Amino acid sequence: MTDLASSLAQMRGAWLTGGSAIEHCPDTWRSIVECEDEPALVALAGHAASVLFRPAPATPLAVRPLLPRLGLRVILETERARFRRVLAHKTGAVTGHAVTSFMAARGFAPHPADWLPSPGNDETAEVFTPWLDWVRGEPEAPPDLAMTLETYDSFPFASRCAALAARRRSDPDAARAIIAAKARTEPAERRNKLVAILETKLSVDDGEFLASLATDRSERVQELARTLLARLGRVSGEDALATELAAMMTLGKIGLLRRRSRVTMTPLKTSAQEARRRELLGRVSLKSLSDALGATDTQLLEASPVGKADVLGAFARMIAKTGSDAACERLLELVLEDKEFPLAEALALVRRRRTAQARAVAPRILQRDDRFFATTLAFVGPVGEVTLAALTASPSFSALLRAMETARGAEDAKRTEATRLVESGLDRLGVLASPEAASEIMARLAAMGLSAADPKLDMLQLNAALIPETRP
Amino acid sequence: MGLTRSSIEAMAPDQGALKAASGLLAPSKWPLRARHGGLIFGECQGSGANPYRVVADSEDQGSKCTCPSRKFPCKHALALMWMFVENEAAFPQAEPPAWVSEWMGRRRKSATSSRSDETKSLDAAREASAAQALPDPSANARKAAVSAKRAEDTRRAVQAAVDDLELWVADQLRTGLAGFLAKLGERCRRIAARLVDGKAGTLASRLDEMPSRLLALPQEERVDAAIAELGKLVTLARAWRAEPDDPELHREVVRAESRDEVVADKDAPRTASFWEVLGSRIATRRDGLVSHATWLLDLEASSPSFALLLDFFPASAGRRATSFSAGECFEAELAFYASRVPQRAVIVSRRDGAGPARRWPQAAADPFAENAERLLEAPWLTEIPLLLPRGRICADASQRAWWRSAEGLAAPLSEAVSRFALGASIESAAALWSGAQLSLLAARTDWGRLGFGD
Repeated sequence: MTDLASSLAQMRGAWLTGGSAIEHCPDTWRSIVECEDEPALVALAGHAASVLFRPAPATPLAVRPLLPRLGLRVILETERARFRRVLAHKTGAVTGHAVTSFMAARGFAPHPADWLPSPGNDETAEVFTPWLDWVRGEPEAPPDLAMTLETYDSFPFASRCAALAARRRSDPDAARAIIAAKARTEPAERRNKLVAILETKLSVDDGEFLASLATDRSERVQELARTLLARLGRVSGEDALATELAAMMTLGKIGLLRRRSRVTMTPLKTSAQEARRRELLGRVSLKSLSDALGATDTQLLEASPVGKADVLGAFARMIAKTGSDAACERLLELVLEDKEFPLAEALALVRRRRTAQARAVAPRILQRDDRFFATTLAFVGPVGEVTLAALTASPSFSALLRAMETARGAEDAKRTEATRLVESGLDRLGVLASPEAASEIMARLAAMGLSAADPKLDMLQLNAALIPETRP
Repeated sequence: MGLTRSSIEAMAPDQGALKAASGLLAPSKWPLRARHGGLIFGECQGSGANPYRVVADSEDQGSKCTCPSRKFPCKHALALMWMFVENEAAFPQAEPPAWVSEWMGRRRKSATSSRSDETKSLDAAREASAAQALPDPSANARKAAVSAKRAEDTRRAVQAAVDDLELWVADQLRTGLAGFLAKLGERCRRIAARLVDGKAGTLASRLDEMPSRLLALPQEERVDAAIAELGKLVTLARAWRAEPDDPELHREVVRAESRDEVVADKDAPRTASFWEVLGSRIATRRDGLVSHATWLLDLEASSPSFALLLDFFPASAGRRATSFSAGECFEAELAFYASRVPQRAVIVSRRDGAGPARRWPQAAADPFAENAERLLEAPWLTEIPLLLPRGRICADASQRAWWRSAEGLAAPLSEAVSRFALGASIESAAALWSGAQLSLLAARTDWGRLGFGD
């Protein structure tokens, strides 16, 4: 074989530059190939090379570890095409993150051939952490390993954060101790993510560590530590700004029989002044503002805020950023009671803590949501457990049915916009509704003439197909 | 607005379309006909190897078909609606398959033909179609004589073209493959044009496509691949010269038989089995045609056995959807084109329903050795399907993907693979082997079926 390989290499060299290769061919071939029959020789050489030799890698081949299994069921083969269509559907109403989070909440994972988290995506639901580590090329976490100071380094980073977050929920002091000991060894970006874990179950016990981060190498980490300290009521150096901001609002009482507090964002004369107020709301903490207004945090949060939508939004964001969890919940409650408050501006209050409490308020948000379920989805997230009664009682549902009628109408301009609204609304319903609600809504839509094969129903169909394991 | 005979007549683009549709009304041409609410859908076995999938909405009369026709609605959609109007009972209620949902969003609404001055009639179309079907003995004899004369002319022209091809190969070797590879497109185009003039149409297409095959390889592999390609051309040319009437060689050099010719051929090997759709390859060729190849795996064979459904249609007909979904299984009888290594086939008959899930046949430990055997039979083949044994997909230092068996056999892949494929344990994989690269079609993995290039 070595002789043949050598002959083939010489013939190759001859043909590459041009000329006869007959003198280089193996002796046994000479009796087959007539003199000057280069085409016959190339046929023999080509065939010999094809069947006798195999390509070999010039460098060693690297094998990736096998993709880890998750504690979720992979969706059925029959649902994979629908899932791919949902991801490819570009209404923008529901993100891929929302769809995968919805599935995870139901106990399902997409097939990894159809979806894997992208390496830079930190928003990925926690249950997909092993896949995130895998796509980042990090080694797999040992199974059932508890997060301790000693085992910290055995976890790949995404799993490390997930394990620390779980530890924080069960044992906040232990988690803080690990973060305090190890954060300094991590680069700034990762250090920031570790410190952010302290947001959960934040307490005065975290104060000392957070204060020590005032000299951190990263400004982002310093800023995060200041924010968390502010939630604990530990602020400094904001007095002048807080006083300036307090002058732009008034805290008072209204009502003759039923006296209640109200904080009014005083109308300002110029847009520059309005911009300055919004800027100050981004820089001042709840504690400093309360002090400047001569009130307590609680008194300020019992006052219904009144003013322009953008200022109210900035106010809500200020509370969400620098107020305690209780402060956020209190203001959210106030906003839900206050029909004048623009609901969408209060979104920051739940972004920080999208929890069972946020889900509990879903029916109240639905009652005020006329934006094709956009507000509800933003507040509640893709929970996949909202009941039929709550969904159909929403102004969004009536708006959706009206839009469906318009979409079937004759006017092209109206039809296009109505179709877009219907598609968006149905996509959002698909990640909000319980499986029973999804099935019933599809039945109602079918009765209105929408075909079950219509791709607008894909998300609802996927919803109805993903039955949680606890259900019959 | 429901479907009626008059609404079909109104939406037909012309009377010719109705006449063509009337030729498709036989239920035997429709392995699948069903309805879901106002939707009717079906699969029509037309003149191609791949069936056409048709959906129509009996309410708004929109329709969609996978055929390449520029007419809208096409004859297949018209035939589907026509059959529905005449016999609704032939369309049982069924859950809409995934392809119906995929097309729902892209369908075009029907419109009354702009050529309203033309009288269109279903009855007239059916009568015209029946009249055309009556045999005319004298016309058939004339046709046969013309055909024999044409065949003799073709043989003479191909003989000269094949001689020129061998001279051309010798010239490339004499002047050097370095220069050949530097002017690959120009040189191949010139000889391809000569082959077209010489009525060696298939051979011309092969030469036309040679540059894209060679340029898809890393530069250092092109010389060896060029030697292999030129060698195959010489082998084919000499084989044809020795047996110009051999159907396989005629197909490889001149032109392929039509579907009807293959079905009518009593000697064509036939296999009735369950088939899995491994995947499709749709490629635009230099001659302006789009090739649509669907690879099937015989799920009942004891050793790996494949079939290729191959169609061509003009690129100007626009992008065409695949006829089968990858992974789909069906029961069918296939007729294979006569060949030393039967691969290309047409569907003779098909039964609805996939039946129970089936395992793939056992792959040979060294499928490349089997490939060598097949190449001894038909050395001119450029691509051979293989079933690969258990293995993994890995990467070399340049991040080029390779398949490697558990036993250590390795071969480079022609395309980059998804991230997931690198993390899956491959139980078995189906691929096309070009002699230099593997093009993966599908794999069974520890995560289930995995498609490539779908």
